[in-house]
Amino acid sequence: MRPSEPVFMNPDLTAMRIHDDYAPPILEMRGIVKRFPGLVALDGVDLSVRRGEIHALIGQNGAGKSTLMKILSGVYTPDEGDIRVEGLPVSIHYPREALRLGIGTVYQDLSLVPQLSVADNIYLGREPGNGFVIDQTAIRRSTQALFRRLEVRDIDGDERVGRLPLAQQQLVEIAKVLSHEPRILILDEPTAPLADEETAHLFRILRGLREQGIAIIFISHRFKEILQQCDRATILRNGRLVTTIDMQGVSEDELVELTIGERLETFFHHAEQMRANADVVLEVSHLSVRRAVRDVSFTVGRGEIVGITGLLGAGQNELARALFGIQDGVRGTIKRRGLVVRIRSPRQAVRLGIGLLTEHRKLEGLVPDMSVKENISLPSLAAFRRLTMFIHNGRERWAVRESMQQLNVKAASSKVKVSTLSGGNQQKVILGKWLLRDLDVLIFISPTQGIDVGAKAEIYAHLSELANQGKSIIVVSEDLLEILGISDRIFVMYNRRLTRIFQRGEVDEETLLSAVQGATL
Amino acid sequence: MANMAEAPERRPSLIPARADGWTALSTLSTVVVVIALFLFFGLTSERFFLPQNLLNILKQMSIVGILGIGMTVVILVGGIDLSVGSVVLLSSAVTALLLDSYDVAPVPAIGAGLVIGALVGLVNGVLVEVAGISPVIATLGTLIAVRGLGQILIENTYIWVTDPLFVDIASDTIAFLPIMAVIMLVLYVVFAIVLKQTVFGRYVYAIGGNPIAARLSGVPLLRVKILAYVLSGLLAAVAGMLTAATVGVVGPNAGAGMEFNAIAAVVLGGARLSGGVGRVEKTLLGTAIFTMVLNYLTLSGVTAIWQQTVTGFLVLGAVLLERFVQRGK
Ligand SMILES: Nc1ncnc2c1ncn2[C@@H]1O[C@H](COP(=O)(O)OP(=O)(O)OP(=O)(O)O)[C@@H](O)[C@H]1O
Ligand SMILES: [Mg+2]
Repeated sequence: MRPSEPVFMNPDLTAMRIHDDYAPPILEMRGIVKRFPGLVALDGVDLSVRRGEIHALIGQNGAGKSTLMKILSGVYTPDEGDIRVEGLPVSIHYPREALRLGIGTVYQDLSLVPQLSVADNIYLGREPGNGFVIDQTAIRRSTQALFRRLEVRDIDGDERVGRLPLAQQQLVEIAKVLSHEPRILILDEPTAPLADEETAHLFRILRGLREQGIAIIFISHRFKEILQQCDRATILRNGRLVTTIDMQGVSEDELVELTIGERLETFFHHAEQMRANADVVLEVSHLSVRRAVRDVSFTVGRGEIVGITGLLGAGQNELARALFGIQDGVRGTIKRRGLVVRIRSPRQAVRLGIGLLTEHRKLEGLVPDMSVKENISLPSLAAFRRLTMFIHNGRERWAVRESMQQLNVKAASSKVKVSTLSGGNQQKVILGKWLLRDLDVLIFISPTQGIDVGAKAEIYAHLSELANQGKSIIVVSEDLLEILGISDRIFVMYNRRLTRIFQRGEVDEETLLSAVQGATL
Repeated sequence: MANMAEAPERRPSLIPARADGWTALSTLSTVVVVIALFLFFGLTSERFFLPQNLLNILKQMSIVGILGIGMTVVILVGGIDLSVGSVVLLSSAVTALLLDSYDVAPVPAIGAGLVIGALVGLVNGVLVEVAGISPVIATLGTLIAVRGLGQILIENTYIWVTDPLFVDIASDTIAFLPIMAVIMLVLYVVFAIVLKQTVFGRYVYAIGGNPIAARLSGVPLLRVKILAYVLSGLLAAVAGMLTAATVGVVGPNAGAGMEFNAIAAVVLGGARLSGGVGRVEKTLLGTAIFTMVLNYLTLSGVTAIWQQTVTGFLVLGAVLLERFVQRGK
């Protein structure tokens, strides 16, 4: 085992640590190797986690974080290496065995059944009852008790999971895993779909679990929360272990540098001046969505980046979906270049030059069994036709390769199934899909969820570039820094209404935060 | 990609590093099964390898195989078409009547039969995609209604098909291959290309793989899915013509139960019944397995009822094997 190097450890602060550094780790993985056809995902990785710590696992998209965790939870078996739990060697071949060992996992792609209720999902596969009839009252009661313990208030146990927003689905998934009472809890990017408030809530829960001595492995691309909440961090780069460090006294820059192997100079590419937005390309007046949006009016100019933000459920997602024809109960008028249009289906929207990327990567973004290439080119196939019905393979391959390079998609080749890509790389594929299709108005909901810091900066630069070329971009995001960084104008939605509009530079994070929370001026 | 470049050493792996390693592997294994069965049947039955019997197998394969193409397309988009056996009856009845009672020339008569088949497919497509009836129910309805229509047309008796064109189709060969088999192979080549190389084919896989993502990508779901049913109806009508040619007569039970043979061929070919995964090439292999087993059972003197039972278990076995392989992966 390679010794972990506490390079940035601050000697004064280590004395204050509550937990004994010399306690035997509850979990030890040594020399883990995992190969997939065409690439080595993990190349001799060590990980050691102590009881009662929140241990961050950090690395760029495709570094091997999820693969390492899937080995721990029995989804994959390692090609080499061994695993010890409480000092005893174990081999984990099935997820069930991992659960029996007390290892509970919240996967990056949620594994809930959308058609079932929240409560049924939580107790799926271990329904109380006599073996034939499920005891529904028992399920409901346990779910309520569980939610009470986790201080989850606004989720109804009888609601169908598919109807919940992504952030709440994430909480249900976490509740489900916690109901197994794990000793080791793995959370693979649980905060990606969460806004600040839910993130804070999640960490309250996690700190409680830490007090009880549970070991928590936490994957995230958000360094702020890692620095604030985690005790130690293990960093992976390209399938190899970089180091394991103590978080005391580490700065964000140091963490970024360890992760990507170089300094990240510019995070946001600010446009020098306000982009001209004289030509209105999209005009929305008095748009309402049943139970979600109330009487919203705005315009979007050519070459402008508009950021829309708000609390969970403030209506921003429904607004975006309405512009793409996938939202029920829409009233009001939408004008494209001055003409009133009716958008009833994505196909119509695309024909009107509007594209939408939604936050539901797996459900709405990808066809898992198709290749990376086929996914990226799907909206643009018409452009690669020859003899009216055939696909021009050469042109398609060329365009896809270009797009993959631009977004730095990490895959063994463009022909592998998109489902074998890492989460962040799948997200890049969806982005690539819409960037390849030459549309005037691009609407992105949480475009950079699950994408690592380095790639994020590149994507922001790319969006900026597109705006300079005259595309109009609407970014819907709960990430205030992202919104502040890229938007020419910022729309704040609160309680279903568009409450504030800020110009670039007119607002700082604090003001924006209070606006998001409903402050009027 | 960066990962590949920096990996210090890579051991040779048994699993091909090709992108479609697994599908290539499983196609290969299906081919191996076909060859193994072929040899086994030939070595254990005196008559299996006789040229006449091999020709018979090819002819039987042609009809199931052509139905299997349409069924593959419909299953790929996430549907199913139970009406194809009835379309075999209706289309051949229309053609036979036109030839027999109205003295229409064979080519327009065949054309009319094919149009009828496509129309039934259109009805199926509209029932499923526009009216929103589940595919099983909708095509079960047309299965019954269309068979009824066919039987009304031929007044529940038998109509002889004696036109020389049909006699030729049934008996002629091109370079040892029966014309029927040639027709089937041409259709397989055409549809393999359609599914792999055309925009329609790509849409078929996208819709079957994830209809929501496909819709949000601007794929014309309705059009593609309806076209899938139309193609299935059209191909069933082609199978109807071949059935009329081989049997030489159209009777009330023509094509009855063929939908299950077609589904069996698709399933044996490893397509996923919920859509998105499957290939016509593999359905052809499935057809070969299915037909050879039936033929062998006949040669061994197994009665029709038992044949049915055995093929039923064969299909179940194939599905279980598929599950098992999926799990092992
Ligand atoms: N089932 C699989 N088949 C083939 N390759 C795979 C498979 N699962 C993962 N990989 C590859 O292994 C590498 C590591 O993927 P992994 O999902 O562990 O990355 P990650 O660190 O979790 O990234 P992200 O931050 O994007 O989630 C990637 O290059 C990915 O394409
Ligand atoms: Mg991951």
